[in-house]
Amino acid sequence: MSTTATAPAPERPLPVPTRESQPHWDGMREGRFLLQHCLGCGKVRHYPRPVCPHCFSLESEFKEAPITGKVHTWTVCHHPFNFFFKQQAPYIVALIDMDAGVRVNAPLRGITEANLKIGQRVQMKFEPVNKETTLPFFVAA
Amino acid sequence: MAHPLRDKAAISGIGETAYSRGTSKSGLALQLEASLRAIEDAGLSPRDIDGIVPYFPGGGIAEDFIANLGLPDVTLSLFVPMGGATCVAAIQSAAMAVATGVCKNVLISVGRTGYSGARVSTRLQQFPQFALAAEYEAPIGMFAPAQLYAQGARRHMELYGTTARHFAEIAVTTREHAILNGNVVMNKPLTVEEHHASRMISDPFRLFDCSLESDGGAAIIVSAADRAKSLRKPLVTVMGVAEGHPESPASIAQRPDLLEFGLVKAAKRGYEMAGVGPKDMNLAEIYDCFTFTVIRQLEILGFCKTGEGGPFVMDGRIKLGGALPINTHGGLLSQGHVVGLNHVIELTRQLRGEAGKAQVKKAEMGLVTGYGDMGDGSLAILRRAA
Repeated sequence: MSTTATAPAPERPLPVPTRESQPHWDGMREGRFLLQHCLGCGKVRHYPRPVCPHCFSLESEFKEAPITGKVHTWTVCHHPFNFFFKQQAPYIVALIDMDAGVRVNAPLRGITEANLKIGQRVQMKFEPVNKETTLPFFVAA
Repeated sequence: MAHPLRDKAAISGIGETAYSRGTSKSGLALQLEASLRAIEDAGLSPRDIDGIVPYFPGGGIAEDFIANLGLPDVTLSLFVPMGGATCVAAIQSAAMAVATGVCKNVLISVGRTGYSGARVSTRLQQFPQFALAAEYEAPIGMFAPAQLYAQGARRHMELYGTTARHFAEIAVTTREHAILNGNVVMNKPLTVEEHHASRMISDPFRLFDCSLESDGGAAIIVSAADRAKSLRKPLVTVMGVAEGHPESPASIAQRPDLLEFGLVKAAKRGYEMAGVGPKDMNLAEIYDCFTFTVIRQLEILGFCKTGEGGPFVMDGRIKLGGALPINTHGGLLSQGHVVGLNHVIELTRQLRGEAGKAQVKKAEMGLVTGYGDMGDGSLAILRRAA
């Protein structure tokens, strides 16, 4: 089979940071897991947003948080709803209870589906996908 | 004291187009076709409609209804942006409008080209309610409800031992009911083995655990109960109705309990308003975007305890002739996906005694739920007037 032209590679969906979430994504790019903390009451919140739902303070700061956690649940994606992920399917996406008190949803690599269980310890890794954007994934801790 | 809204509103008209996969009609045309049928069913003229609550986004807006139906004086135009919980929640808004006299007849309608138009993974990216999923989950390979809701289903299985066999029972039963209806997309029998052999979409959801992408329109009219008495069809009143919004409504991932849907709040208020409980229901039309979603809602609604939803649906309990027939029309899994307005239509039809081969004997009171937008919930309890 010969082809005269190659179809363009499907585009990966990328996060579009908001004014609130920019520091989080800047941190990811530097390989740091930065979470928003309220300056009024000190509580952590994720995903980033303007107001603390506990004390209603508008003031917050981003602080580096531990990258460890444990499996809350997961799915194994077989059908690629976006063509970019077609080559990767099937892939595991695990929802992780981070030790920092928030959750992160990200691919879990190096563990087979049969060996997955709730409560399993994992650790976040950072994968640069282009100059601006780094995305998280998890491996066994 | 009875709730001031109890039995003050009625479902006075119902209408549907053919449900299909493949149409040349626009979503708006389907919506208007269904609306005209609902208006005809109620014995009203299009000119009698003064409240417009269309499913949004997608399909028409009040301007389209005024232009197409020549409505002389629309007094209320609103959207209820709750995804799959929209249609049932809209009954609450409509009931408030007709009970207070703001409107006489409110038209709730859906028009969808979910098969021939934009498909689900494209469509949802445009919803503001999906902004967090677009920022944090789409980039790591999670786009569609089948993926986002699968994690909750997996957790339920791990915690409570719920199985694919339980999921299959929902799919197979719903298909059996669909075949009795006639106006359905899926009209061939489905076996448990065929369910198990269907391809995995997002574990634990197989193809036959997922609702249809289909084309079609549906509409209902909500009128004040005292006026609806003199309309064409037997009176079906809204005993209780409520909407509920879960914690972390736009992100399932950050919700403390993934299985805590908005229906938890809506069910409590809906039952209280109606002054009845789950034991009083003769049937239930449960929003079935996924088989598992039905199982979890049956728990939340108090038909069984949390964790017991899987075993509850077995042994014919949810089939016609069983203790609690559910989705007697074929639901979103087998009839068609018009965001659950078909569930409201079916419950109304059952309570009128118009459900044909799928008629539940002594259908005097039943409930219908909505579920969507990452977990918003709604509940309506309808009854046939004595």
